[in-house]
Amino acid sequence: MTDVILEKVGKTYPNGYHAIPSVDLTIEEGEFIVLVGPSGCGKSTLLRMVAGLESISTGELRIRGERMNEKEPAERDIAMVFQNYALYPHMSVYDNMAYGLKNRGMPKDQIAEKVSDVAQMLGLTELLQRKPRQLSGGQRQRVAMGRAMVRDPKVFLFDEPLSNLDAKLRVQMRVEIRQLQRKLGTTTLYVTHDQVEAMTLADRLVVLNKGKAEQIGTPMDLYNKPATPFVAAFIGSPSMNLINANLTEQGIKISDALTLPLSHQHRGSIVWGIRPEHLEVSDERNADFALRIQAVESLGAETLIHGKIETASGDGEPLVVRLSGPHLPDVNSLMWLMAPAQHWHLFDEKTQQRL
Amino acid sequence: MTVTFPQKGLPWLLLLPQLLVTAIFFLWPAEQALEQAFYQEDAFGLSREFIGLENFIDLFTDPLYYQSMLTTLVFSFSVAIVGMSLALFLAVMADRVIRGKLAYQTLLIWPYAVAPVLAGVLWWILFDPSMGPIALWLKSAGVDWNHYLDGNQAMILVVIASTWKQISYNFLFFLAGLQAVPRSLIEAAAIDGASPFKRFWTIVFPLLSPTTFFLLVVNLVYAFFETFGVIDATTKGGPGQSTTTLVYKVFDDGFVGLDLGGSAAQSVVLMAIVGLMTVIQFRFIERKVQYS
Repeated sequence: MTDVILEKVGKTYPNGYHAIPSVDLTIEEGEFIVLVGPSGCGKSTLLRMVAGLESISTGELRIRGERMNEKEPAERDIAMVFQNYALYPHMSVYDNMAYGLKNRGMPKDQIAEKVSDVAQMLGLTELLQRKPRQLSGGQRQRVAMGRAMVRDPKVFLFDEPLSNLDAKLRVQMRVEIRQLQRKLGTTTLYVTHDQVEAMTLADRLVVLNKGKAEQIGTPMDLYNKPATPFVAAFIGSPSMNLINANLTEQGIKISDALTLPLSHQHRGSIVWGIRPEHLEVSDERNADFALRIQAVESLGAETLIHGKIETASGDGEPLVVRLSGPHLPDVNSLMWLMAPAQHWHLFDEKTQQRL
Repeated sequence: MTVTFPQKGLPWLLLLPQLLVTAIFFLWPAEQALEQAFYQEDAFGLSREFIGLENFIDLFTDPLYYQSMLTTLVFSFSVAIVGMSLALFLAVMADRVIRGKLAYQTLLIWPYAVAPVLAGVLWWILFDPSMGPIALWLKSAGVDWNHYLDGNQAMILVVIASTWKQISYNFLFFLAGLQAVPRSLIEAAAIDGASPFKRFWTIVFPLLSPTTFFLLVVNLVYAFFETFGVIDATTKGGPGQSTTTLVYKVFDDGFVGLDLGGSAAQSVVLMAIVGLMTVIQFRFIERKVQYS
């Protein structure tokens, strides 16, 4: 069953700034959708439009079939977790969680029951009488989630909820959010700029760029078949190697000295891409090209090698190679590489679309 | 940041003007008042006699003194409550304005720059029973306005005149307080189903409580001690004793009634009250509420 529908939803500010031209998105019930993009791409604005905190300039938002454009945030049956948590500082954890229920006129004993259930689920029972300032970052984050969960809303909205936590806690909370969402089965819209967070949480991802949805799909769709160079560069870490090239009869001409053979009917300027993890170390005879190593980052489980494609003039394209396990090649030495054709991504340079 | 001076003398030299002002206009008179409170002096200051605590005993057995204390309390709390409520209302409105915000804010701050006596005279003219526009309008509306005869009306007049000036000050602090309340809290409350009215009273107002308490103390101190000019310019403490606050009484008894010893004793009591209020104020400002 479809739960939330955004139909040509757009946002124009009174000063004429076109924040979001038009976004179409259909969310199934229980789905976990992540809006991801660089800062300023309009992802938070879009989320706030769904919440009712920003007006919708054009298009229509429907939740469970009902038009929501004119409804107040409280009437949309949504709950939101804010980046700074937005806990009421003068209220105890219990009152923070009970506030929304009280406003809706729920009887006191039912509120107590609901709050204690959710507190139990999140491990907050001991903290119910504390004030937000007496809690750690992770605990505040949990209270913010508890406040959202206690109301049993149709839709959860998360606005970069993990960006104020340290790296270790972020990973832990990420897993927790995913498990809770699975358990509750509540439709979720989640905003983040962190592509790892996006990939691990999402059923489907929406990659936003300048207010436009560049691509909507499962994390693996986006990884395997990015629709544009923007998505290709944004999804995956380290990001995909993208090199401007020319598609000719002989194949992909990267430089005067280097052409990768390929028969393709398209001609002209293209962007050739290959992920760092898909480049293979080879020997001089079998290699497609050589890399002049400039820097080596050893991370233990993997090694990132930064270099330039070796050319006579020395101004070859920069490239990153990701090898599993430890490697210690010498800086400035040459490394022979193979770029298997099944891992290539080709984009038309003019239209920025996948070929 | 700490600034260190190469020589010891310069910091003292820089402090000297303020220290001199404090000494001449505060410490010395205070010491004089304290001393005088234990003497009885003739009207011309030619002779005086040590009488111990007699001035204080007279003071605390005088029903007029208690009357004046009550007047001061009524006056001060009226000024504080009316002034703060109006200022809070204006601040909430100004906070919501999007266009011309600065113009409203600037205009609302202006009255603070008006000298107390001028404020008093201004309202005195507006309310003058024979020619004041407001008084005439009130008369046409059926209210028999004459603050020269009616003690309650006189009280209302001095409260209005004193409040008007203080609203600007309160407004500034409330506006700053409102702007310090994170927007996301209001938004969270909106999603939590609270009406704008409820949002204000359950979220914004409690978060303003440090500001509110600070202003309450400042307003009370203002009404207690800094409204002499306004009262002198409008009602001169009358009719009868109806607007004679403690500070006005010090002046009235000392310089009109020429009971210098009794007046000095009253000053000493007032000094004790100022001290007490300052302690309360500072203790409270020490512990600020954190928005987090």
